[in-house]
Amino acid sequence: MVTRSLVSVVDDDESVRESLPDLLNELGFAVQAFSSAEEFLASDYVDRTQCLLLDIAMPGMSGPDLQLELTQRGQDIPVVFITAHGDERVRPRLLEQGAAECLFKPFSDTALLAALTTALQAG
Amino acid sequence: MDTQFEECAEEIGRLQRCINDLVSLLALPAIWSGGDTSYIGRTVLDALMGMLRLDLLYVRLSFSGGDTSVEMFRIGDLRKQVGWPEEIGELLNRWLGDASKQWPPPTKIRVGVEDMSIIPLRLGLQGEYGMIAAGSQQADFPTQIQTLLLSVAANLTTIGLREAELRNEQSRAAAELDRRVVQRTSELAAANAELRKEIAERTLVEARLRHEETALRRSEARKAAILDSALDCIVTMDHESRITEFNPAAERTFGYRRDEVMGKKLADVIIPPELRAPHRQGLARYLATNEAHVLGLRIETTAMRADGTVFPVELAITRIAFDGAPSFTGYLRDITERKWAEEELRRSETFLAEARRLSSTGGFSKRIATGEIRWSAEVYQMFGLDPAEPLTHERMVSRVHPEDVHAFNEILKQQERGVDYEHDYRLLMPDQTVKYLHVVAHAVCDVDGDLGYFGAVQDVTQRRLADEALAKARSDLAHVTRLTSVGAMTASIAHEVNQPLSGIVTNASTCLRMLAADPPNVAGARETARRTIRDANRASDVITRLRALFSRREATVETMDLNEAAYEVIALSLSELRRHRVILRQEFADDLPPVMGDRIQLQQVILNLVLNASDAMSTVEDRPRRLVISTAAEDDDHVRLMVQDTGVGFDPQSAKRLFEAFYTTKSGGMGIGLSVSRSIIESHHGRLWAVPNDGPGATFAFSIPRTSEAVIRAGVSGPVWTSGVTDTPQIPRKL
Repeated sequence: MVTRSLVSVVDDDESVRESLPDLLNELGFAVQAFSSAEEFLASDYVDRTQCLLLDIAMPGMSGPDLQLELTQRGQDIPVVFITAHGDERVRPRLLEQGAAECLFKPFSDTALLAALTTALQAG
Repeated sequence: MDTQFEECAEEIGRLQRCINDLVSLLALPAIWSGGDTSYIGRTVLDALMGMLRLDLLYVRLSFSGGDTSVEMFRIGDLRKQVGWPEEIGELLNRWLGDASKQWPPPTKIRVGVEDMSIIPLRLGLQGEYGMIAAGSQQADFPTQIQTLLLSVAANLTTIGLREAELRNEQSRAAAELDRRVVQRTSELAAANAELRKEIAERTLVEARLRHEETALRRSEARKAAILDSALDCIVTMDHESRITEFNPAAERTFGYRRDEVMGKKLADVIIPPELRAPHRQGLARYLATNEAHVLGLRIETTAMRADGTVFPVELAITRIAFDGAPSFTGYLRDITERKWAEEELRRSETFLAEARRLSSTGGFSKRIATGEIRWSAEVYQMFGLDPAEPLTHERMVSRVHPEDVHAFNEILKQQERGVDYEHDYRLLMPDQTVKYLHVVAHAVCDVDGDLGYFGAVQDVTQRRLADEALAKARSDLAHVTRLTSVGAMTASIAHEVNQPLSGIVTNASTCLRMLAADPPNVAGARETARRTIRDANRASDVITRLRALFSRREATVETMDLNEAAYEVIALSLSELRRHRVILRQEFADDLPPVMGDRIQLQQVILNLVLNASDAMSTVEDRPRRLVISTAAEDDDHVRLMVQDTGVGFDPQSAKRLFEAFYTTKSGGMGIGLSVSRSIIESHHGRLWAVPNDGPGATFAFSIPRTSEAVIRAGVSGPVWTSGVTDTPQIPRKL
């Protein structure tokens, strides 16, 4: 039995937390969903997460804030940002700051798979 | 006022007659000189009968200490009721009894079918010169004046009789003296004694005379009292126009003291210069020809005060009935105030007419019972109808716009209920132009209890067209600012759309993969397909809301729930708020009454307030960016929405300017959002205001009237204008 890679989804949008895990399951990943960065940090999945699907804009701690926090903690988890704000200008900056990929909603399953593959290889 | 004046004039007339009668009585002694006693009796009887309109007058004249007497009487209309004077004599005798022993009391005796009051008056202190008895069937007999006149007549008669008797006695004594001088000197002493006795008696009579004079002075004093207390000015003048009386009212009115003007020419004192010549001519004409133009009439003229000011007076002149050169009494009343009031009335009527002309307002009245309608000239002009032709229902309706005829007739029907009303309708003129009329009518009951209406009709066409132009401009501006607001939210809106789209794509992909598996995961596929549909609906809702905000369409007024409208705005702006890290709290009132308004325009105002609040907090880092949106029903039939932030707030001094166009504190703003918002709220008959919070930030709020019960019930609004060209919110006026 091949161990599935654990992908954690952090998004305040409930419909994302509902739909994305199912797709990730279909794509062959293990999934855990969190509604906020704080919830994720407080959980015991931080160490086990192999890739983080992270929303940028969230109440409280934002996606980039979480990324910075993890780096400071020495948790080098590959991050794929997902955002519904279609501003292309944020992408180069995020990639520069260490993100594996930045997906703009809506994204296709192949784009998601490609991004995760890239992220996990980098990891 | 008139009644009072007439009573006063009547009273003055009565007093005037009394004075005239007194003067006539005082003239009697002059005509008695040399006459005998029966002549005195006859003239007194005739004078009193004439003055007092008595039914019975009886005189008994006694001489020589009561030894002999003469009786006379006059009968007025009594003759019709009783056949013969003897019968009255009989009645009188019965009443008089033996008057020498017992003075008869005033009495009532039955003559024919009516009672007659009789009063006795003594001639002489003890009645030693006889008596006068006066009888009248008048109910109020004797009046004060009648009593006065009778007692003066009795006094004068006594004096006359005494004088006549004295004359007789004197001539008899003289004759006797002559005879005795010629015949016997011895009788001289006796005659002398007789003479002395007569002289003594004469002294007595003179004393009595003095007493009578006192009585006369007393009645003069009464006359003076009348003059003094009269409210009107009483001025008398003689035939040379010299002032002979000037009462206190005249002193007050004209500003002269009586002693200053007595004996002066009337024309020089109280007649304005331009009227002096006519006054002199009138007097001269009257004296020459007896032809009077002003006597006995009430005329309005002017008079002059001591300080030279001229004022309007009402004047009545009577001639004092007196033998000899004529004299006149003038009664004057200052009518300055009345004239002023009349002038004020005329002026305000003129103002009203002018105001009507300027405001294109006409008046109408209607009697419901008869259907009689009266229009002012302005209404005829509005309808373009000829006032000369009879005003029929058909003629009226012929001008009413066909779409409004039904409502117009409904109003006519409702008039029978007798309630005040306001309504609007259009006229379609023969040249196809449309006029908008606004009618306010007030129900009244006249003195007979008949229902009627008074009303004003205003041609509001110009105002209406201006309103339409204004509404169009407001609507255009609102649209532009809507685009601006929504433009500023582009990123948030994209987020709002992308979120469900992302859900759709993810779910659809999952669904396909589940179906492609072996064996296919049908249950999972069904669930993801369901989520796909849900997210598609969510996206559709967002698009619908966006389309509404972007739309440029006619303003429409509907009954709406402000909570629901606010909720939709919040739903659209949630991402924007989240992006600015704004914490939103909704405090929506339960059971909020519906309001009447244009949903999109009101949502635009709410959106504007929410975005402003969010902007105001964008630089705040030291405290939570908190936004509270609340709704509440107000006491005065209004519904309020408040947006409270913890932002930078505003300077209270610039509170006024906040709502001015192009006033902005934001670098990126145009400064028209709040001014457009206020214009929208005002077009909803509401109010938009801002207050600084106790703590940080500001609160913006608006309140608009709730839908009236009548509108909710009937589902219709007051005005019936439904023409399609308008972009004006159809806000119902007060029903």
